[in-house]
Amino acid sequence: MDEFLIKIKNKFRNNDDLFLQEEQILDVSVIFIGFNTLIDLTKTKRTLHKHIANAISSKKTIGELLNELGEVKEEDMTEAISSIMKGKLLIVIKDQHKYVILEPVPKLLSRAIEKPTNENVLQGPLSSFNEDIETNIGLIRKQINSSKIRAEFFSVGPEQKTKLSLLYFDGQVDKKLVEKVKLLLEKNQDRELNNLQDLTEVLGFSGWSVITKFNVTELPSETVPYLRKGRIVLLVDRFPFALIIPCFLWDMFTLENDRNFPIPLMTSIRTVRVIGILITLFLPALYVALVAVNPEVLRLELALTIAQSREAIPYPALVEIILMLIIMELIIEATVRLPSTIGPTITMVGGIILGQAVVEAKLVSTLLIIILAATTIANSTLVGIQNFLAVRFLKYLMVILASIYGVLGILGGMVLISAYLASIETFGISYLHLNYEKEGTKYG
Amino acid sequence: MDKSFHVVLMYLLVHFGLIFFLFPNDIISSSDEGQWMPILIGLIVHFVFVYIYMRGLSFLPEKNIIHIYSEISNGLAVFILLPVFIYLLLTNIIGVRAYSEIVTIVFLSNTPSWAIIVLLLLISAYLASKGVEVIFRTGVILAFVIFPIILFVLIASFQNVDWRYLYPLFNDDFRFITNPSYLKSFSAFTGGFLFLGFVSPFLTYKRKKVLIAAAILIPFFLLAVYIPVLTFGHSTSSTFLFPYIMAVDSTYLNWLMFDRVTMFFILCLITFIIVQVSLLLWMASQIINHWIPHNPIYSVVTLVIIIFITSLMITNWETVEHLLWLNSFLRFYVIFTVTLSIYNIGRRSKRKGLS
Repeated sequence: MDEFLIKIKNKFRNNDDLFLQEEQILDVSVIFIGFNTLIDLTKTKRTLHKHIANAISSKKTIGELLNELGEVKEEDMTEAISSIMKGKLLIVIKDQHKYVILEPVPKLLSRAIEKPTNENVLQGPLSSFNEDIETNIGLIRKQINSSKIRAEFFSVGPEQKTKLSLLYFDGQVDKKLVEKVKLLLEKNQDRELNNLQDLTEVLGFSGWSVITKFNVTELPSETVPYLRKGRIVLLVDRFPFALIIPCFLWDMFTLENDRNFPIPLMTSIRTVRVIGILITLFLPALYVALVAVNPEVLRLELALTIAQSREAIPYPALVEIILMLIIMELIIEATVRLPSTIGPTITMVGGIILGQAVVEAKLVSTLLIIILAATTIANSTLVGIQNFLAVRFLKYLMVILASIYGVLGILGGMVLISAYLASIETFGISYLHLNYEKEGTKYG
Repeated sequence: MDKSFHVVLMYLLVHFGLIFFLFPNDIISSSDEGQWMPILIGLIVHFVFVYIYMRGLSFLPEKNIIHIYSEISNGLAVFILLPVFIYLLLTNIIGVRAYSEIVTIVFLSNTPSWAIIVLLLLISAYLASKGVEVIFRTGVILAFVIFPIILFVLIASFQNVDWRYLYPLFNDDFRFITNPSYLKSFSAFTGGFLFLGFVSPFLTYKRKKVLIAAAILIPFFLLAVYIPVLTFGHSTSSTFLFPYIMAVDSTYLNWLMFDRVTMFFILCLITFIIVQVSLLLWMASQIINHWIPHNPIYSVVTLVIIIFITSLMITNWETVEHLLWLNSFLRFYVIFTVTLSIYNIGRRSKRKGLS
């Protein structure tokens, strides 16, 4: 057998889905190589036969035909292997050390374009990204019909390369920012890229920041306005969402879809989200502070009511609230983990614990249940899962500070969180920028 | 980049912190009637010095005062900046100590004051070590959250006002000028604008906008003194250590679920104090950094430890008062030397540039 074929076989040994099939094209014997898990062989052959029939009728030679089908290569082993891995079909001409890389009919391994699973849309375009990077770019191009969209491709990874694409709106984007990102992607080409933590490292951010530096969305209709505002969009192959950099605090409260409503309604929707973050951060902390440290701040009647509701509770307010908050976190985590068929059980059981039993057992006060529910609901109003998680996390800082310093602690926590947010920078752009769009165009 | 907005908000924020605590007491105890006259004189001094200072700085754009002095001579830099440094440190020590005392009095009577000092200093140190831009940005967020509350409290504090206490309007007795309390009250008039000379390579601002901010402050200077006077009358309000806070404490809002509006007011002011302390810390670390280049975290941490130990050594309010009195001399010295020398250097360099 051919030396070349033996090498390939050796490289892919113990792979039963690799096929080597002998065929005759224009009376020359060739061998098809590829993975039958990635290639739809029957359909590919059917197309190939059409080509061959054409070639026979127009009396082409085998060389001409192969040139028509794809690039003819010689001896290049690494290229051959990586093409097979990518799901291409190799046609090797026997005893000649030549091969052609052919774009076959692929097996359908990606989802169709579906409705978003993590973001709900009210009155807006519904299609969402899927795992295939090309489909995603296609969706973006479909959404914005502009010649100024640029899409540059990179591949990052030591051995198995992950495809990554950088999209921006030429003329709107800050050129220096694009250069910086490109430089980093090229510099860190050999890094592993399997998840967003890896990507954070590739882009040179700290992995310890609570606030992620990407804004994540799975909707092309949300992504495109960001492009138009001069932001950069990163798409990673096999990730069904777009990563938007730089990301700002204000993104936590805004959705492009809000603009499909009249301005007064849009403003009020966004105000609700701002109230949401304030309640999430302050309400549990305020409960601890007012019950445990500074009850005198409250109106006497109110203070008495609260004291009454906590009458038989055997432990301090901090323990009480931390206990219930952890149970709440467990419920949230469990509903995410479980298949949707068992999910409702958790909701029901959780409802029983939180709703009635825990109060009747005199383990926590009724007021706390109200606060817990309000906090959880308020937290969910924020845009973006990553922001939801970050705020959920930061609320514990407030609770702990409040338990030590009372209302002063809440205030200290507020200053700390503000300082933390103020200290976040993405490529020298502050997280608190409000009108990046305007200033961004200056550099364009 | 033009950051006038940040600078203006910071200017307001720092001054609010100074105006509403000790300033009303100082003014009220310095003059029996016609308090607007001492305030007016103070405001004129405020405007004149701010104007001279910014005018001098505008001759030397893109430089902060540390660079300006050390370009002329190292001796001059030491001669002027060393007092500035001591002043910044002393102000921080007094500030932290005084406000921890207020917090203990008003709402954390069981918490030892060292614990409160630790909280105040830790947050300030965190902010200061992050650099001036972060301090200013934090100031902006806090201003957005807190200014509405301050305005609300101000409006609410008119509740018990009796306008007859406004009279007599005129006071032909100018002895208040030599009154120690009046000199102390200049902490509010002249204690808040030194930072304008430190920020310039990092942030730039328009002079006019800062002057507008100073103009916005005028009613607050007046209200801080007049609301307690109009609520209690002069003789009662002069017995309080914090007359304005007492005046707010006397209000009662039927629909509010909280019994004490004061507490929120004080808390708001304390955030401003935290920001101010961090700003002063940053300024001090910049001065050190000029001679001994290093990571600002180290100097901030060292300073914080020094401030913490020193403020623990102050055991009672009399010492605080005494230090405030000493500090007002230092402040006058610093303000005079810094503003006038900057103006002169600026003029001279402009003339040199022209010739």
